Amino acid sequence: MKLVTRLAGAALGLLVGLGLAQPANAQSTQPIRIGSTLALTGPLSATALIHKLVGEIYVEQLNAKGGLLGRKVEWIVKDDQSKPDVARTIYEQLITVDKVDLLLGPYATGNIVAAMGVAQRYNKILVHHTLGIPNLAKYDMQFPAWSVGANPETTVPNTVFDALAATGKPMKTIAVVTSKFPSVFYMSEGARAVAKQRGFQEVLFLEWEFGNRDYGPIASRVKDAKPDFVWVGAIGLEGNMLAEAMKKIDYTPPMQFHMYPAPGPMAKSPDTQNALAASIFEQHAPFTSNAVAAEFVKIYNDRAAKANLPDTAVETQAAASYSAWQVLTAAVNATKGLDDKAMSDWLKKNQVDTIQGKLRFDRQNNFGDDLMKVKQVQNGQWVTVWPKDWAAPGAKLIVP
Amino acid sequence: MKIPVFGWIAIGGLAFAAVPFLQLPAFYESFLYLMCFWIVLATSWNILSGYSGYFSFGHGAFFGAGMYTTATLATKFDWPFLWTLPACALVAALLGVAIGTVVFRMDRLRGELFALLTLAVTFVLATVVLNTKIDGGQGVLLSGVAVPSLLARPSSTFYLLALAMAVGTLAIAYAIYRAKLGLGLFAIHDDEDVAEVLGVPTFRYKIIAFAISCALAGMAGGLHALFISYVTVGETFSIIVPLNVVLMSVLGGSRHWLGPAVGASVITGLLYAFTAGNYPVAGRAAVGLILIVVILFMPEGLLGRLIGKKRPKTAKPAADAKPVAADPAPLRPGPSVASDGPLLSVSGLAKAFKGVRAVDGVDLEVRPGEILGLVGPNGSGKSTLINLVSGHYRRDAGRIVFAGRDLAGLEANEIARTGIARTYQIPRPFAHMSVETNVALTARFGREALDAQAARAEAGRWLEFTGLTDKAQALPEDLNLHQRKFLELARALAARPSLLLLDEVLSGLTPSEIDHAIRTIRQIRDQGATIVFVEHVMRAVMELTDRIVVLNHGKVIAEGLPAEVMNRPEVVTAYLGKPQHA
Amino acid sequence: MMPSPTLLGQAVLSGIFIGALYGLLGLGLSLSWGMLRQINLAHFALAFLGAYLTYQLTSVGGLDPLLTLFIVAPAFFLFGVGMHALLARFAITPFNSLLVTFGLTVIIESLIQGIWTADYRRMETHYGTMKYKLGAFYIPFTEFLTLVMAALLSIGTWAILRHTDLGKAMRAAAEDGPIAAAFGVNERRLALMLSGFSAGCAGVAGVCLALSYTLAPAQIYAWIGVVFAAVMIGGLGNPLGPLIAGAVIGISEALTMAVIAPAWAPLVSFSLLILVLLVRGKRT
Repeated sequence: MKLVTRLAGAALGLLVGLGLAQPANAQSTQPIRIGSTLALTGPLSATALIHKLVGEIYVEQLNAKGGLLGRKVEWIVKDDQSKPDVARTIYEQLITVDKVDLLLGPYATGNIVAAMGVAQRYNKILVHHTLGIPNLAKYDMQFPAWSVGANPETTVPNTVFDALAATGKPMKTIAVVTSKFPSVFYMSEGARAVAKQRGFQEVLFLEWEFGNRDYGPIASRVKDAKPDFVWVGAIGLEGNMLAEAMKKIDYTPPMQFHMYPAPGPMAKSPDTQNALAASIFEQHAPFTSNAVAAEFVKIYNDRAAKANLPDTAVETQAAASYSAWQVLTAAVNATKGLDDKAMSDWLKKNQVDTIQGKLRFDRQNNFGDDLMKVKQVQNGQWVTVWPKDWAAPGAKLIVP
Repeated sequence: MKIPVFGWIAIGGLAFAAVPFLQLPAFYESFLYLMCFWIVLATSWNILSGYSGYFSFGHGAFFGAGMYTTATLATKFDWPFLWTLPACALVAALLGVAIGTVVFRMDRLRGELFALLTLAVTFVLATVVLNTKIDGGQGVLLSGVAVPSLLARPSSTFYLLALAMAVGTLAIAYAIYRAKLGLGLFAIHDDEDVAEVLGVPTFRYKIIAFAISCALAGMAGGLHALFISYVTVGETFSIIVPLNVVLMSVLGGSRHWLGPAVGASVITGLLYAFTAGNYPVAGRAAVGLILIVVILFMPEGLLGRLIGKKRPKTAKPAADAKPVAADPAPLRPGPSVASDGPLLSVSGLAKAFKGVRAVDGVDLEVRPGEILGLVGPNGSGKSTLINLVSGHYRRDAGRIVFAGRDLAGLEANEIARTGIARTYQIPRPFAHMSVETNVALTARFGREALDAQAARAEAGRWLEFTGLTDKAQALPEDLNLHQRKFLELARALAARPSLLLLDEVLSGLTPSEIDHAIRTIRQIRDQGATIVFVEHVMRAVMELTDRIVVLNHGKVIAEGLPAEVMNRPEVVTAYLGKPQHA
Repeated sequence: MMPSPTLLGQAVLSGIFIGALYGLLGLGLSLSWGMLRQINLAHFALAFLGAYLTYQLTSVGGLDPLLTLFIVAPAFFLFGVGMHALLARFAITPFNSLLVTFGLTVIIESLIQGIWTADYRRMETHYGTMKYKLGAFYIPFTEFLTLVMAALLSIGTWAILRHTDLGKAMRAAAEDGPIAAAFGVNERRLALMLSGFSAGCAGVAGVCLALSYTLAPAQIYAWIGVVFAAVMIGGLGNPLGPLIAGAVIGISEALTMAVIAPAWAPLVSFSLLILVLLVRGKRT
C-alpha cells in the first residue's frame, strides 16, 4: 500500500512543519502578546468586526502611551469560525504554540465556554465579554467584563420592571415570547418568574426555535392576548422580525422590551419606536462624561464608518469589549507582572474602572454587580432611560 | 514481504499513537483530534452512503444522538464518560435501524428522496431534543464531567480516543470494502433491483451498513460532546455536519475506503490554514475556490484519480466476439428434483399495474431439462411473468412452486438462492465493477455462496465459456451490445442455477451473433440447466425450444410443440392482429 | 382556549406568504435540478447577493426597490448563463454539482461579507409599512408582492413549458437529450437559457428578501433545509410544485404556531414531509 505510506508521510510532514513554526520564547524586551479568537467568519460573525475594531483601537491607544509594563503590546487575533471546537483548539494553539502572555476571551456563549476550559487547564486568567449565562462560568480565574451580575435572569427583569413601574402607568398583563437560543431563553425563563412575583398576569408564553422564519402567527397571538407589556426574548434579527410582523397586522404593543436586538436596524425601523432593550453603554452623557469613554467613542465612530459597518454607534457589544481590555490591563498594571494567579487574586479583591462603570468580581462565579440599564428607541436613536442617574440628559421613558 | 492493509492501518495507528509521547504542544494533539474526529464522521458516512449510494443528509442526527446521549448520561445519571460511548453507539444505531426498517423497504425512497428524508429526520430530532428535558433550550454543560485520565494531559486523552476511533473506523470501512458485504453494497450502488434478483440481501445489507455507520457517528458525537463541553441544539443539529461529511467524502473519493479520510484531513487542514491570517474572509473564499477546482478536475475525488490510473487500459471492443470455448466447464444442475414432477409450476398467477392486468391467471409448468419457449406479442406479459418468478414484483394472486418449494413470501434474493437466475433484455451490468467482478458477484451470492477465491475461479470459467476472458478487467461500458448480452449470460450462469430465465437475449444481435448465441444456449442446456426462453426471434425459438407457451394479454392462449403451436389460428391472430384466413 | 378565527385566518395568510417565498426560492432550484440535473446550492447565495444588491441600489443609489428588479434579474440571467457554460464544459454529475455550487456559495458569502460586513442590514422603504386590509385580515404589501411574483413566475413557467414550442423542446431535452437533439432541438442553448432563467428567479427572490427581511451573510444557510423540502415534495422540475408545497409547509407551520406552540412548528412540517415521502414511496 504505497498510498497509505505516502499519506502517512504527508501527515507527518505537516505535523513537523507546524512544529517548526513554533516561535522562540518571548524575552522581556519583546512585546507582550495577547491572544484571542473571534468568530470572524460563520453564523456568529455579525458582531465580530465590532470586537476586532475595539481591540485594535485599544492596543493602539495602549502602545501610544508606552504599552504595558514598558513593553509594546501585540494582539494576536484568530478566526474561530463560530465553532466551539475550533475555538478550543485555537486557544490551545495560542497558549502552547504561540505562547502568548495573556488571553482575552472570544464572544458568544459556546465559544467562551470552550475557551474557558482551555484556560483552566493551563491556569491562565481569562477575561471575557458577552457571556450570557453566568452559571456556565465554572472556572475561578475567569472574569466577565460584561457586568450583568451573577443572576441576570432575576436582576435584569427587575430593572426593566422597575423602569416600567416608575412611569406610573399601570401595567398588569405580560406576554413573554422567546427564542430558544440558550442565553436568551435563560433570561426569559427568569423574566417569567420575576413577573409572577411582581404580580403581573402572564397572558401569553410562547417559545420558538432559533432560526424561525415566520413570525406572523406569533405576532397574531400576541395581538390577540392584548398584553400591557411584551417581553421579547430574541437575539439578533429575531426581535426585529417579530416587531415587523406585529406592525404588519397593524399592532404595536403598548410597551415592548427586546433582550438582545440588532441595535442598528431596530433604532432605524419605524416599527420599533419606543421599544426597550437592555444596555450597559450608550454614547451619550453621562457615559461619555468619562474622558476615556468619550475618546473611545470618537475613534470608534470613525473606524466603524471606515470599515463600512452599518451602525457606527458604541453600544453594549463594543463597550463590553473595551471593558475587557481595561480589566485585563488594569490587572497587569496593578500586579506589575504577568503572573496569572497574582492578577486573578488582585481582581477578586479590587474594583476596576471601565467605561461602563466600576466593575468588581467578588460574587458567585466572579461576577459582580448588575450594571444593566434600560434603553429606549426615541426618534430613531437609542437613549438610556433607566436608572435615572444614567439616563441621557433630559430623556425619560416614553409611554405612548 | 507484503504487508496487508490491516497491518498498515495498525502501523499507522501506532505511529500516530506515539504523538503524545513526543511532548508536542497540546495544540497539535487537538488539531489531530479534530482531524480524527472528521475522519470518523466522514468514513462512517461513507460506509452506507459512499458504498451503497444511499446519500444520507442525516448524519447530523446520528452524531447529535450520540452527543446528547453522553450529555444526558454523564450529567443527569453520572455515568463515567467512557461508559457513555457504547451507549452513544447503541442509541444512534437503533435510531438508524428504526429509520432503515421503514425506509429501506420502499423502492422509491432512493437517491435525493433518501437524502431529504434523513435531513427531515434531523430537524424532527432537533425539535424533540430542544423541547423536551433532553435539552430544554439552555444547552447542556459538561464541564463538570471528568475527562478520563488515560494520559497526563486531557488533550492527549482526547486525541488518543479519537485516534482509536479513527483507526477502528478505517479498519471497519476497509473490512467491509473487502468483504461480501462491501461487494453487495457496491452492487446496490450500481443497480439495486438487479443486485436483489441476483441474490444480494439488499434490505439486510443496507440495514447493517446503516447501523454501523450510525453507531460510529454516534460514538464520535459522544466524544465530541465532552471535547466542546457545552452542547446546544443549534450547534449540534445544523446542516454543517452532513454538508461537511459529504464534502470530505466526495473530495477524497467516496468509492474508496480511504477516500473520506483523505478528504477529511485535507479539509480540516485547509480550514486551519486560514484561521490565523489577516484575511479570514478571503481565506474562506479560497477554500470554496479550491473545492470547485478539485471537483471540476477530479470528479471522482482525490483517490478516485489514483484508482483510475491503476485500472488497466482495455482495448476498444472488437467487432466480433470470440467463438465459444471448445470445452466449456460443466454446469452442475440444481437440487435433485423428483424427475417426474415439474421443476417450476405456476398456477393462477396474476399481477396488475394501475388496473391493467399484465398477467392474468397464468398456469404453466417447466419440466426438468427442457427449454421452454415463452412467446407472445409485445405487452403480452412475458417480462412481467419473469419478474414475478424472480421475485422482483410481488404477485397479486397465484402460486409459484419451484423444486417442490412454494416461493410465497420469499424475497427476491432468497428466490435467487433457491437456484433461479435471470438475464435482462437490456443488459444491466454493475457499471462500476469489472466484467470479472460482475460475474464473480453472482457466484458469491448465488445458491452455493462461494468464497471470494472460488467465485473468481467460477467467474473465470464462465467468462471463458462466453468468450469474455480477455475483457475480464474491462468495465461494462467498454463492451459492445453482443458482449454485454453474453456478460448477462455469464453472470446468470455463475450462480449455478437449476432454472435459467432468459429474457430476449437475442434482440438487437446480428444474424451471425444469433447463431453464436444459439449454440451457446444449447451448450448450457446440455450441461443440465433448465431454461425458460423468452424470445421474439422465431428462428431461434423454433431451433431451440422443446415446448412453447404463448401469452396474449396476460393469458396463456396456447401451449405445445413449437411447430404445431405456431400454426394455430389464435396464435397467428395474436401476432398479426387478424385471422389467418381473412 | 380556542384560537379566534381572525388569528387562524391571519396565520393561514402568514403561512401562504412565507410559503410563497419558499416557492420563489425553490422555483429556480427545482428547474435546474429537474431539467438540467444540477443541484444548485448557490441559488441561495445568489438570492442573497440579489438582496444585498437591491439594498445597495436602494439605500445608497436611491432607486425604488421595485425598479431594481429590472437591473438585478437581467444581470443574474447573464450570470446563470455564464455559470452553466462553465459547468457544461465539465459534464458534471448531479452530486458533484452540489459540491461545486457549495464552493460557489462560500465564495459569494465571503464576497458579501467582504463588501457589506457580516453586520445586519435592513433596507428601509416606504413599501415596508404599506398594507391592505381585507375584512379582519391584513395583507402586507411586500409579502403580497412576493406572492404575486412567485405565482406569476411559477404559473408563467408552467404555461411556457406546457404550451409553447420552446417549452416542449425544453421538456423533450430534459427527458432525453440525444433524441431531442435528433429532432433538431438545440439542447445547449436551451440549457443556457434555463440556467439563466433560474438565476434570474434567484434575483427576483433576492429583491423580495430585501423588501421583507433583515440581511446577514449567514442567513444564506437558514433557508436551505425548508426550501429543499418544498422543491422535493413539489416534484423536481415541476414549476408549480415548489409554490404549492411551500404553501403547504408554510400553512402547516403557521397553524402549529397559532394553535399549539411555535417551537414545535418544525416538527409538524418535517413530519408532514416524512409522511408524504413514506406514503408516496409505498412499495409497488
